[in-house]
Amino acid sequence: MNILKLGIPKGSLQEYTLKIFKNAGFDINIPERRYCLEIDDPEIECVLLRPQEIPKYVGKGKLDLGISGEDWISETKAKVIEVCDLQYAKQEINKVKWVLAIPKDSEIKSVKDLEGKVISTEVVNLVKDYLKKNKVKAKVEFSWGATEVKPPKFADAIVDIVETGTSLRAHNLRILDIIFKSSTKLIANKKSWQNKWKKEKIKDLALLLQGAVMGEETVNLMMHIPKKKLKRILKTLPRLKTPTIKKIAAQDWYDISVCCKEKGIRELIPKLKRMGCEGIIEFPTIKVVV
Amino acid sequence: MKKENKILKFGVPNQPLKEFTEELFRRASYDFIIDERSSAVHVDDPEIECFFSKEREIASLIKQEILDAGLVSKAILEETKNTKLREICNLGTLKIIAKESEVVLAVPKNSRIKSIKDINGKKIITRVPEVTREFLRKNKISAIIEFSEGTNEAKVPTFADAVVEFAYTGETLKRNNLEIIAVLMKNSVILAANETMFKDKWKKEKIENLAILLKGARLAQEMAGLTLHASNDMLEEVFKVLPSLKKPTITHLRGENWFDVLTVANKKEIRKIIPKLKKIGCTDIVEFPLNKVII
Repeated sequence: MNILKLGIPKGSLQEYTLKIFKNAGFDINIPERRYCLEIDDPEIECVLLRPQEIPKYVGKGKLDLGISGEDWISETKAKVIEVCDLQYAKQEINKVKWVLAIPKDSEIKSVKDLEGKVISTEVVNLVKDYLKKNKVKAKVEFSWGATEVKPPKFADAIVDIVETGTSLRAHNLRILDIIFKSSTKLIANKKSWQNKWKKEKIKDLALLLQGAVMGEETVNLMMHIPKKKLKRILKTLPRLKTPTIKKIAAQDWYDISVCCKEKGIRELIPKLKRMGCEGIIEFPTIKVVV
Repeated sequence: MKKENKILKFGVPNQPLKEFTEELFRRASYDFIIDERSSAVHVDDPEIECFFSKEREIASLIKQEILDAGLVSKAILEETKNTKLREICNLGTLKIIAKESEVVLAVPKNSRIKSIKDINGKKIITRVPEVTREFLRKNKISAIIEFSEGTNEAKVPTFADAVVEFAYTGETLKRNNLEIIAVLMKNSVILAANETMFKDKWKKEKIENLAILLKGARLAQEMAGLTLHASNDMLEEVFKVLPSLKKPTITHLRGENWFDVLTVANKKEIRKIIPKLKKIGCTDIVEFPLNKVII
């Protein structure tokens, strides 16, 4: 039987990944203390791995398919096929950010001042690429973690992930520049992509996963609209797909059903009610495939 | 100054209404987090400024026009009764699909007090003295009312002859060997606002929009959507079974004598409706969850 080997990221991306798989129609179970996951599709073999390692194994063909951050794909310089993006649009502000930070009282005022200095980081290659782009030569040292504590004793600057900025402030550091913004990607091995069965399986999976990502931020809206207001109200409705319009039997009313982004629904619903819509109901969507 | 006016100051109640409020705002499409340690409320709407406190304080702050609006229970609203406070909408019971909570008058089981008339001249302890006073006045009874904050069930009969308390299941009363002799009022959660706030057009619209969303989210917690297929000759009977909350949407199925019917109903009713629909002969009955219902 054909088998697709899939890598699921452990850690911060784990919960999100399992959720979109569930909404895509796949139940994944994590047995205690084991890294081989149970998935309710006999054609998929599932392993839990650090996101840092997934691009490497996908590149080498140990895995056919994996989920990882853009940051680790670039850092490991793995030769993989990027199948699709799996980021919620509303997570735009929460995208993983790698920043260049220096002590508050540092003499370094701009990227140029890094010339000849020591930078400590977990993403050595990303930093080297950044320095190259800015035509600056500095020593980049690999850090095993707890990078914030290193300046000024062990390094002049660091490149680290920032979420709220609290940790940086606690260590008296300030952000000089954002060097990389990362989103979540579905990646495939090049050889697997040549295999007809695997390619089809991956494409189907990608379609369902993207549908689940979109479903998470989309809602269905249904309402009754009097005939004379129909035109005006249809203009107000944002839409992902053409609204379904049904005439209500023996009345001058229409039933409208439309799929729209949840963002903005707070303003839209009161507006529709004021415009004369009745019986407005909103219900969740699981997948949206446009 | 002008910019400052475009902020709605909103009171967010703590226990027992905290979880209720969080859930409701989230269903209304807000990112809403209450950090209990710092009493900070994060809401992803720059036009709403939240203040986390006790219901009693919220009601009083709305009365003083320091807050524009907030969520409080009906009993607390009655307690702070003032012409300046306006009830915008009733958001129903605190516990979803549970029995309504009530404000009750209770006495020890072996007490000589058997009915409210026997309360004359006795001592009642309560967290809601104004509600109690109003109740006694209506029933033409005079008794001593004493304010006491909390664990009042355990204070009878040692400190008083009777107690007026909130009751959900009646379990606490039973455990303290108390018996309910009268129900003063049914309690529910109210979206309340200051009367003068309505003079500000922007604030008026903002609070009315919020009321539409919160009420819609609350209704959706208790309801579900229902679709089914029925043939022409079944329709009349189907309509008798379906609740009339929302006009059902009926669509003709192509090329057949069958119709697709869509409606919403209370979850409790649905468990009675579905077997009935099945008996009538309906097919393809599907129930689905709702986020908001605006009727």
